[in-house]
Amino acid sequence: MRSHAGWLTLILLAAGAAHAAGTDLQIRVEDQKHDPVGDGVVWLVPLDRPAAPASAPPTRVEIEQRGQEFSPLVTVVRVGTTVQLPNRDNVEHHVYSQSQAKKFEFPLYAPGRAESVVFDRPGVVALGCNIHDWMLAYVVVVDTPWYSRTDAAGHGMIAGVPPGRYRAEVWHRRLASSVQREIEIETASTPLAFTLALKPDRRIRRPASIERGGYR
Amino acid sequence: MVIVVLVAAAQLTGFFIVAHLHRAGAVTEMQKQLDRAADQLIRVVARRNDDLARGASALAFDDGLRGALASTRDRATLRSALNSFQGRVDAGLVALLSLDGELLAETRAAGAEFSGYRVLQQRADQSESARSTGYALVDGALYSLVAVPLQAPDIVAWIVVGFRLDAGFVATLKRETGVDIALEANGESLAATPSKGTDFEIVHRRLGLLQGSAVDVVLRYSRDEKLAPAREMERLLWVVFAGSVLVAALIAVAISRGVSEPVRTLAGFTQRIAVGDYAARVALARSDELGQLADSFNVMAAGLEERDRIRDLLEKNVSPEVAAQLLRDGGALGGEEREVTILFADLRGFTALSETQSPRELLALLNRYLEAMSAEIEARGGVIDKFIGDAIMALFGAPLGQEAAADRALNAAVGMREALERLNRTLATEGRPPLAFGIGINTARVVAGNIGSKRRLNYSVIGDGVNVASRLQSLTRVADYDATIITSHATVAALRAPNPFTLRPLGTAAVKGRQEPVTIYAL
Repeated sequence: MRSHAGWLTLILLAAGAAHAAGTDLQIRVEDQKHDPVGDGVVWLVPLDRPAAPASAPPTRVEIEQRGQEFSPLVTVVRVGTTVQLPNRDNVEHHVYSQSQAKKFEFPLYAPGRAESVVFDRPGVVALGCNIHDWMLAYVVVVDTPWYSRTDAAGHGMIAGVPPGRYRAEVWHRRLASSVQREIEIETASTPLAFTLALKPDRRIRRPASIERGGYR
Repeated sequence: MVIVVLVAAAQLTGFFIVAHLHRAGAVTEMQKQLDRAADQLIRVVARRNDDLARGASALAFDDGLRGALASTRDRATLRSALNSFQGRVDAGLVALLSLDGELLAETRAAGAEFSGYRVLQQRADQSESARSTGYALVDGALYSLVAVPLQAPDIVAWIVVGFRLDAGFVATLKRETGVDIALEANGESLAATPSKGTDFEIVHRRLGLLQGSAVDVVLRYSRDEKLAPAREMERLLWVVFAGSVLVAALIAVAISRGVSEPVRTLAGFTQRIAVGDYAARVALARSDELGQLADSFNVMAAGLEERDRIRDLLEKNVSPEVAAQLLRDGGALGGEEREVTILFADLRGFTALSETQSPRELLALLNRYLEAMSAEIEARGGVIDKFIGDAIMALFGAPLGQEAAADRALNAAVGMREALERLNRTLATEGRPPLAFGIGINTARVVAGNIGSKRRLNYSVIGDGVNVASRLQSLTRVADYDATIITSHATVAALRAPNPFTLRPLGTAAVKGRQEPVTIYAL
């Protein structure tokens, strides 16, 4: 997790640097039981300006396959970002997406190879593996530079948000659909908090035998 | 007869108790079996649901179906995909629903729109396991439905698979449980196993439906079939019953022959004994208690006969009164003092007579004389105490007290004198010499009772008065008195007034062994 958090920090820092003039918006996401919600994605869509300013895509975004899992589970990218899908496992994988935002399929590719995908439309893309049912990753593609992914403590931060009106959207894999709210960003903005009604975790359980080493 | 009825009653009671318990047991057993069958039905459905859900879940990852769903919303295409899916999991129906519960496609070609899919999908969406099951009536048929998610890898749609609880299903269940099953909704049969018989043990279960009412599961067990062993046992019991009653009847007849008839024989015998037929004997050739009883009866009869004979002999040898008293009181005639009138009669010249007569003739003559005298004494209530050779000792007022004992004695003496005259006339015609006697009569208080040894007892009286009577009799020999009957003053004093007798005073006489002289009279 630590290395993923590092990547995320890199992304956030890159985004923050471009808009250093704005407010740093603190974010907190919790569920109906007031437990912190990690892997929540919050982004802001400006309502006063017709479009968000373009920003340079980060140098490198990747979702690796290791130990028959995708990592990280949730990735947020701006539209147009290319995501590497390196196979660092000892088995082949068959990565696919049937999501409307981006459909693709990489049939059986061997360890060591790294396919890449350009996410050119906003939306949530669920990545699966045709061989390993439990393998799951999400790529949240947003058309805005102001986004954040909450950590395990349910905290996130969007740096350098210019004052103005925004549509704040939050996505979580256990939400039926994304939650939206209109907000006003002042120079010293109050933290943005969401309380989400989450559905049961439907993630497919990995068979115990595989966790024990892949044999019966 | 009573025994037969008792045995029959006991048998019948036993029969009904056993039959009742057996039937009750059979019914309880049937109820249990029906309950088990009902539980099994639910279990079988649950298992089938599980299998179906697993199969559906496995296929939900099928690339083709996922691909079809991802690439098209064309109903015909999706339905063809579902048909393929249906074949693989052996489902009665398959439906595909969007995340919003909208029906995307289903294997049913026609039929009314079924809104239960959405109910099922929503339940599954809310559940932890992302699965829900339920019963539903689809096109008039009962289905068990399962909703599972279609994951790619996120949940992208819901698949509902169902299997039909049809005739084949209930037939399978019947093979496993032996119970007839009928599924009914609103009084209409959905599926039922063909069942024989008319008399059923029935258990009802209700299967709640996703929507609307419920389906009635009727589990039936043919009583005829289940109670067949019980009926067989009852038939057997009837045979045992009839047999035991028959045996009881035979035993009763045997007992009647063996006991009742001998008892009747013995009863008849006792009646003969009761009327005095002591010669009767009962013949039972048996060695048991009845035989012993018959023997005892015979001994008793012999005893009675012996007693009768003894009484007869007794009456001949002693006076009937003494005999009666002896028999009544046994041999113990206790000594008692009572007033008795004693009569002594002695034959005169008998010794001389004995020289001219043969002993046989002499005895015959003596007996004729004694017979005639005894008759006179007894006719007046006197008791022959004893014959002392040719002498007679008679008592009046003993052993039983008598009224006018003295009168009776004097009357007897007069009667004896007349009887002797008659006897003498007869003897004269026979050419025999006449007989003569002397009589002495005295009245005194004497001791009366049984006198003798243990083996031989004589009822008699003893005392001074007896001697006086004997002496008075001796005085008749005194020629001066010229009397054949002499009585003492004591007797005369005891006579009732008025005195009918002609008495001639003879003055006083000294009696041997007695200091005072006795006043005597001739009669």
